[in-house]
Amino acid sequence: MDYSETEDVQQVHAAIQREKREPRVGLEPLSIWLIAVYGLAVFFGGAYLGRFAGNFSGDGLDPLGGAPRVAKAGSSVGGAEVAQLGPVDRGKKIFSANCAVCHQPSGLGAAGQGYPPLAGSEWVVGSTKRLGMILLKGLEGPITVKGQQYGTAVMQPWEKTLTDAKIADVLTYIRQEWGNTAGPVTAEGIAALRKEMAGHTGSFHADDLNAIPADAMLAGGEAAAAPAGAPPAGGASPAPAGATPPKP
Amino acid sequence: MTPAEIPLTPPSTAAVALPVENGVTRSDVEQVERALIDASTRVPVLIFYTSAIVWLLLATLLTLLASLKLHMPDLLGGVAFLTWGRLRPAQMDVMLYGWASMVGIGTAIWLMARLSRTTLRHPLLLVAGAGFWNLGVLVGVIGILAGRSTGYEWLEFPPFAALILFVAYSLVVSWAVLMFRFRRSESIYITQWYLLGAFLWFPWMYGAAQIMLFVVPVQGVMQAAVNWWFANNFLYLWLGSIGLGTAYYTIPKVIGRPVYSYHLAAIGFWTYALFASWTGMQRVVDGPFPAWMITASIAAAILAIIPVATVGLNHHMTMRGNFPLMRYSPALRFTVFGAIAYTVFSLVGVLISLRSVARVVHFTEAGMAYTQLGVYAFFTMVMFGAMYYIVPRLVGREWRYASLIKLHFWASTYGIGLMVLMLFAGGMVQGFDLNDPALPFSETTQTILAYLRGQTLASLLLAVAHFVFAAHFGMMLFGLGRTASMPTFLNPQADDVGAHV
Amino acid sequence: MKGLLPLILGIFGTFAFSWAGLTLIPNAQIGHLDPQTDEEGLDAYPAPKSGLAVRGQQVYAANGCVYCHSQQVRADYAGSDIERKWGERRSAPRDYLFERPVLLGKSRLGPDLANIGKRSAVEEPEAAAAPAAAQPAPAGAGASAQPTANASAPATDVRPEGGPAPAPGAPPAASPAPVAAVAAAAPNTAAPVTTVNGEPALYSTAWHHRHLYDPRSFVKHSNMPAYRFLYEKRRIGGEPSADALQLTGDDAPLEGWEIVPTYEAKSLVAYLMSLDQSHPLKEVKNTTVAAPAASPAAAPPTEGAAK
Repeated sequence: MDYSETEDVQQVHAAIQREKREPRVGLEPLSIWLIAVYGLAVFFGGAYLGRFAGNFSGDGLDPLGGAPRVAKAGSSVGGAEVAQLGPVDRGKKIFSANCAVCHQPSGLGAAGQGYPPLAGSEWVVGSTKRLGMILLKGLEGPITVKGQQYGTAVMQPWEKTLTDAKIADVLTYIRQEWGNTAGPVTAEGIAALRKEMAGHTGSFHADDLNAIPADAMLAGGEAAAAPAGAPPAGGASPAPAGATPPKP
Repeated sequence: MTPAEIPLTPPSTAAVALPVENGVTRSDVEQVERALIDASTRVPVLIFYTSAIVWLLLATLLTLLASLKLHMPDLLGGVAFLTWGRLRPAQMDVMLYGWASMVGIGTAIWLMARLSRTTLRHPLLLVAGAGFWNLGVLVGVIGILAGRSTGYEWLEFPPFAALILFVAYSLVVSWAVLMFRFRRSESIYITQWYLLGAFLWFPWMYGAAQIMLFVVPVQGVMQAAVNWWFANNFLYLWLGSIGLGTAYYTIPKVIGRPVYSYHLAAIGFWTYALFASWTGMQRVVDGPFPAWMITASIAAAILAIIPVATVGLNHHMTMRGNFPLMRYSPALRFTVFGAIAYTVFSLVGVLISLRSVARVVHFTEAGMAYTQLGVYAFFTMVMFGAMYYIVPRLVGREWRYASLIKLHFWASTYGIGLMVLMLFAGGMVQGFDLNDPALPFSETTQTILAYLRGQTLASLLLAVAHFVFAAHFGMMLFGLGRTASMPTFLNPQADDVGAHV
Repeated sequence: MKGLLPLILGIFGTFAFSWAGLTLIPNAQIGHLDPQTDEEGLDAYPAPKSGLAVRGQQVYAANGCVYCHSQQVRADYAGSDIERKWGERRSAPRDYLFERPVLLGKSRLGPDLANIGKRSAVEEPEAAAAPAAAQPAPAGAGASAQPTANASAPATDVRPEGGPAPAPGAPPAASPAPVAAVAAAAPNTAAPVTTVNGEPALYSTAWHHRHLYDPRSFVKHSNMPAYRFLYEKRRIGGEPSADALQLTGDDAPLEGWEIVPTYEAKSLVAYLMSLDQSHPLKEVKNTTVAAPAASPAAAPPTEGAAK
């Protein structure tokens, strides 16, 4: 293509001939009002950053800072902090992880394999001391639940696997699930029971349990008000006596 | 006198009293030097320009089809590779990598050569670079349409296409290094700052994004952070830098007057590099990120008012008294439109990123309006201006029809204006609708259908503009331009006007 | 500017600042999260996706769903996402641990999908009675492993007209299947997908397939494109396929033909069904009524009442 290329000075393309020099730069100073604009931008930018930076933390999803980890007292309506599940919710997890295999998520047990039900069981909603003993040390031999004989299966001891708090949580859960409406169990009560039963070796039998009065409740001092983080609802400390249903 | 005999001495910066040596004025020397430089850049720049325009036409068609399908969803419904979800990224990426990047590189080559006052060495490197770049975009677009999109916005090209782009880019950069190595100008002009910045920033942002997304992928939402960090830097520091650098050349060059203030230029450049690079996360405002990241980007957007005001003022003061020249010079008219759009773009960017506003406009079409302001109203218009200036010097002909230039200008101005207006208004309506939970979702999309039809109309106008421009450019390419000593003015020029288009 | 060196140093310095600030430092902060577990190390969330869902994620990305559908729920102070029942809580970085690519999206020409898989499953029975009417009727429309879905409409985005098909004013619903109070035990009941007037329940697998095949059969004026190329039309040889789409009206294939989802379509729907951010996270407070537990009494049917 002929783009009128030329090597002759006199015939440089017209566009280049008439062209102005390559641009240069003047040296005008800054005006005051421009500096004022700078000041405003810096001010607002800085203020914005300061106000909405959420403390520059990796957890601070909320621009106004204050990681939502700790619910401000009385401020939030749905006060139930997800991080702080109630004992029932914690107990449910412990239950589905450890107990549901035999007793079933439905709490109905599996009579065929010899696993007694928990739903409506007098052993569950009755004496928390008996219940605590079963959990800590396990249970062997025949036992009658809801008028039916069980005993082909063995309940293993949980004292080494679960902490006091977890035992308390899972007991609270099974006492309040599937239509059960018995009172909660506290970690302190389990701790005391654990101390009391420390000398006992081997699992309990039905006779050992029947030796304990049917209304024997574990201590759950109101001062103990449950482990840190339990919402107030869970702290309904021991009003269990009334909640205990009559023995069959 | 042959080129070899021309005494290429550095000219003085003073414009006055060009001395005469052996009957040849310094002005003559400079003219020959320019002619030589233009001759050396002709082939690569025209190749980049031609490719860019072909991609622009493709992007135009894809945009039109995508825009139509938004309110006519059953149009070509059964064709897998033309489904809307593939057209949309294909259209955007052709626009960004095919058109914007190639026209930007082409312009940057020419500007760098002129400003470094050196002829282009090894133009074949650049021709190869253009070839690879075209191949990369082609492979990438085919990849997207064939269903190989990566799903990261603006990075949809399959990784192997990105690899080809990288080869292309290193060829271009090796040229840039050579050019700088042999520069003969004693000071580095403002445009060169921006271009140098763009050329160093681009491989960094693109490489970092590719590595952090595909080679050693970061976890979870960090991918989105890298994605938007890249996308905004692509817009600001790659396209934006080239666009601003070009405007810093075209405006003073055409009106023949120095840039108003060096100080403003320096402040504008460094604050731009510092603050504009921090924006990006405001695009995911209120998203699943630590709040400080988003807030930092919003604050950076606010602080970016500093460079915007500075550059805007610098351009304005340079232009002062010469605004009537826009009546005649196509280059100036497009460039000034683009420079003004840059200010609007940045201010809109600040506005829609504020949390209180984002509450309404986030997730709406207003975000698209913002992108279009940046990519089209600012960058593309500045590039059109530069092409109207540069192409006649490369092909040795003047633009043939002033009427075509006028048609191009008005069609693209009204087109982009209408598009931004429709998207922005539609976005506001959509935002208020979305925030009204009583309104069923399906109604929120229905209300903006009218605006989306408006967008189609706007795309149609832009298509007219682009095809007119492409035809005009084609005439120039095939030597059908006018041979005349006077440039093609948009309007008959009065005697006393000194536009040097 | 005279020197090249300060220019280049400045160019590198400014960008390094932004690179470190917006990608490296955040990556150190939130780039190495672990799934959240409870004290026992159980109940891990989020869990990796199934292979089919991972494939579906690619289909989702390849077909550009992300350009219309976001996958993030904003907090209650920043929009009406939660009121629109797109989620019970805002999204957090941890929700996306296993997402690759992360498809947050920044446009909502279509509804948010962060919890679309969850929304299919359990809705409050009260809500079911409210809007678009639900009548469970077993029909083998597509095999699915979900628990018996109710078919409530969150009312926000679903056919306000009552749908094009058979009965516009369906009778108020009998409450759907015994909503899984004991959720953990429920799935093995292997209930067929609940259907509404012979149509698949909202956001069930069968619903998604039909919606992808013909969006306007559910939402009359939807501008979502149909994804028919993800479905295969073939002649029935012998027994009809179990996963063939149950289509009515204009979409119904000719006698002796059936329309079945391809592998892509199945994986895409598997991906959609896997989208669920309902699990509580420590770092996010639940903004709606807490009690994600089994109690169905929680949610007042505000949505239904509104429209």
